[in-house]
Amino acid sequence: MAAGKNQSSYKQRPPKILLAKPGIDGHDRGVLVLARAFRDAGMEVLYAGLLPTPEEVIDTAVNEDVDVIAMSLLNGAHLTVFKRVADLMKERGIDDIALVGGGTIPEEDKPALEAMGITGNYGPGTPLSIIIEHVQRRSAEARKKKMEQD
Amino acid sequence: MSTFKGDQRKQGRKRWSRIKTNVSELISGIRENKFASIARAISIIEDGNSVRRKDILRRIGKPEKRSHIVGITGPPGIGKSTLIGNLSSGMMDQGLRTSVLAIDASSPFTGGSLLGNRIRMQENLRDANIFMRSLANRGEKGGLSRSAIGAVRILEAAGNQEIIIETVGAGQADLDIMNLADTIVLVLAPGLGDEIQAIKAGIMEISDIYVINKMDREGAYFAMKDIEDIVSMDENSGWKRPVVGTTNQDLSSYKSLIDAICSHRKYLEGRNLLSVKRGLMEMETALEDEIDEKITRKLKEMLHNEERKENVNLATEDPYTAAERLLQNFIKIREQSTSSP
Ligand SMILES: Nc1nc2c(ncn2[C@@H]2O[C@H](COP(=O)(O)OP(=O)(O)OP(=O)(O)O)[C@@H](O)[C@H]2O)c(=O)[nH]1
Ligand SMILES: [Mg+2]
Repeated sequence: MAAGKNQSSYKQRPPKILLAKPGIDGHDRGVLVLARAFRDAGMEVLYAGLLPTPEEVIDTAVNEDVDVIAMSLLNGAHLTVFKRVADLMKERGIDDIALVGGGTIPEEDKPALEAMGITGNYGPGTPLSIIIEHVQRRSAEARKKKMEQD
Repeated sequence: MSTFKGDQRKQGRKRWSRIKTNVSELISGIRENKFASIARAISIIEDGNSVRRKDILRRIGKPEKRSHIVGITGPPGIGKSTLIGNLSSGMMDQGLRTSVLAIDASSPFTGGSLLGNRIRMQENLRDANIFMRSLANRGEKGGLSRSAIGAVRILEAAGNQEIIIETVGAGQADLDIMNLADTIVLVLAPGLGDEIQAIKAGIMEISDIYVINKMDREGAYFAMKDIEDIVSMDENSGWKRPVVGTTNQDLSSYKSLIDAICSHRKYLEGRNLLSVKRGLMEMETALEDEIDEKITRKLKEMLHNEERKENVNLATEDPYTAAERLLQNFIKIREQSTSSP
């Protein structure tokens, strides 16, 4: 389309991230630390709350038009929950929101997550800078897809 | 992906289809109140690309019916988001299609922000299926009101009767947003004391409805009395500003707030005052966009072309003289091109 012809550079929105901890889980502090770190790195950060269902996570992501859903889990249920979110996205034909995972994820589960399009999958103790860099990269990819659709 | 069969995918696509960014499809999605289309259109409005913004807002065209815009403002932590959750679902219960916009502040240094309003209304939004969008106040001049004006137009085109906007009411950008509102609701709470005095100076005068929230707290009735005293000094003609008490401990308390908001809407409609201020703001922004596209950008192009000429050194000229000359040339070229058949 003709849009953007005369304006090679304009100010784009910052990356927009939804932090979610789907499923049942009581520890919320880690997510809040991440939220602040993402904000300080110049991102717009939403937090999906304590016990959102996968459906709720996706509804929020769509209505807020985020670039990345960052999912964190600290118990063993991540694989099913992450998979449910990834499946729902596919069902709804959403391919311009990136999924990033994190938490205590056993090494042997990571390939399956990657295959679902869930990247990162960093464990506790990963330096924030590495997580931020990864989220920024995935966010840029998602944003590019959003713009390509014209 | 081996876990996902091709025919399953096709089915899925048919039912939901991917979010369309093609403008015509976005527009028809908005008209059908599809949340994904509304959301994507608002993103395009939020981006700084004025050509795309104009494309969307133009195609939306004139609204069939104007929405009623309710601005909810008040000091940080007073309970605005919680109240909006209950208010919006209460309005939906009454058959009024309602959407919510909430403004969060960005850091002026990093541009990042925590969009914390949504979480306080999340349950109401989910249960009543309400569209809500967080908008960040990124601090660039006029940026926020431009986004908000556009977002309101989109939500209006989606058939919302009520659009609720949350702001903290501090700073110029927030006051500008309140100009969009047909009905301004100022939320206060017991125990504010001196803060009420501080607020009085600005937003107090332009509010149409006062709310004392957290009525479950001590001192609630004194707080109501304080505001009632202020309101009793109002002139007798025109709108009589109500003072309403609310608390999330008693959901029926929001009913009187809904009644007050609906009465104010009727009051405005009866006097043909709905969207008058907003209409003017919409025109002003459209005009600014037009000037930017048709004049400012062309002038800058002229300037850069001139700079590229070898025998011209702009630095030797007084900038104001140069600017005057450029503008005069620009007007001359325009006149020539319009007078020749
Ligand atoms: N006791 C009591 N607490 C309330 C009431 N309404 C909200 N709160 C609490 O007040 C706190 C702030 O609520 P919010 O709805 O986030 O307030 P806000 O004005 O939107 O806050 P900001 O957007 O940060 O300015 C939360 O802890 C709420 O649970 C109420 O009616 N009574
Ligand atoms: Mg709030």
